[in-house]
Amino acid sequence: MGRTWSSMDDFEAFLNDGGMVEVDDDMPDEYRTAVFRFIELHANSELMGGLTERDWIPMTPGLRHKMAVLAKSQDEIGHGHLLYMVAADLGVKTRREMLEDLFAGRSRFHNVFHYKVRTWGDQVAICLLVDGAAVPSQKAVYKDCSYGPYKRILKRILAEEGFHLRLGEERVLRIAEGTDAQRAMFQQSIDDWWWPALRLFGPDSKPNDRLARWRLKSEKNEVMRAGWVQKFVPMLHSYGFTIPDPGLTHDAQTDTWTCGPIDWEPLKRTMAMDGPDTARRIAEASAAWETTRWVRDALDAAPAGAVA
Amino acid sequence: MRTYEIFLKRDGQEEYRHAGSIDAPDDELALLLARENYLRRAEGDLLWMVDRQHLLIGDRDFVAPNSDKPHRDNDGLLVAAHRKSQRESR
Ligand SMILES: [Fe+2]
Ligand SMILES: [Fe+2]
Repeated sequence: MGRTWSSMDDFEAFLNDGGMVEVDDDMPDEYRTAVFRFIELHANSELMGGLTERDWIPMTPGLRHKMAVLAKSQDEIGHGHLLYMVAADLGVKTRREMLEDLFAGRSRFHNVFHYKVRTWGDQVAICLLVDGAAVPSQKAVYKDCSYGPYKRILKRILAEEGFHLRLGEERVLRIAEGTDAQRAMFQQSIDDWWWPALRLFGPDSKPNDRLARWRLKSEKNEVMRAGWVQKFVPMLHSYGFTIPDPGLTHDAQTDTWTCGPIDWEPLKRTMAMDGPDTARRIAEASAAWETTRWVRDALDAAPAGAVA
Repeated sequence: MRTYEIFLKRDGQEEYRHAGSIDAPDDELALLLARENYLRRAEGDLLWMVDRQHLLIGDRDFVAPNSDKPHRDNDGLLVAAHRKSQRESR
């Protein structure tokens, strides 16, 4: 059987020493719940992202990129699956309960999946800016993660997110070399997605963040956000695109870009499940869950060995 | 006699790894023999064993189709070439 700790202090001392928690350990309930919530949010976001990605398979221009979108959609849905397994093993909710909560609008997913994807340019912007925010966030969790099963799954997920990001960089290059209309479309997408993607990192980290103490986060939100700004501002400028941030400043001495004041109201709205596209996205996901009910029922009813 | 496959894991980030196999007449003795053969100096902190006949195996032929799916990756060469030409033209 797994390990037990006599008190929270004892457990935190174990984490402080670099200890890794495994699924059969008798971890404190607060830790179990916090890890579960964190992974459930991650899983929900992968799935909601994957579902929208899927919508774009028929609309993606060119066979090569269409195939890449197929692969990316499968990756994202797969990330959801992997994470739901890790979350379910914590014994807080079953996988089915998590999915039912998600499709009933009872559980959360990341802010960027509450917005409407209107054009191919939006898809390109998402692949660059959103996957480009997911990678450092997940890396920061992976780096020092105290929960073993999550850390091991993140390693695999990160390898695939790297593919998404490289794909995004190629799409941006292609669209930048496109026609004036294509460039204008993409500029609009940057204007629409810059701030939602930037807000994905969340407000500045609090000094005594429990998740940092328990080694679910190893980097402050503001540090990751600054790194993201520093990476994407020069990249988009180099292609002749502009950043929709009038407060953006450049320190010539250190060649550092810093974003202007951030409006957190839109983040609060998405957290309250009241984003611009929240209702439609949930309705669509929940409709898909309903129309596939017969598959789950058939699998549940099948005797062992019947589905060979 | 049955044959068991043995997997060991160290506490910390690493996964269970296949360590080898062992013959034993039943589960109880299999565990004991595994400990005394594979964990003589506690080479792992956790042990998993599975009766070989319960292992599901996907062989090379089964896995092979996925070695030919280049659309599932992006080598980044196009972007790298573009950046290089930009640097050089500066
Ligand atoms: Fe993903
Ligand atoms: Fe991704």
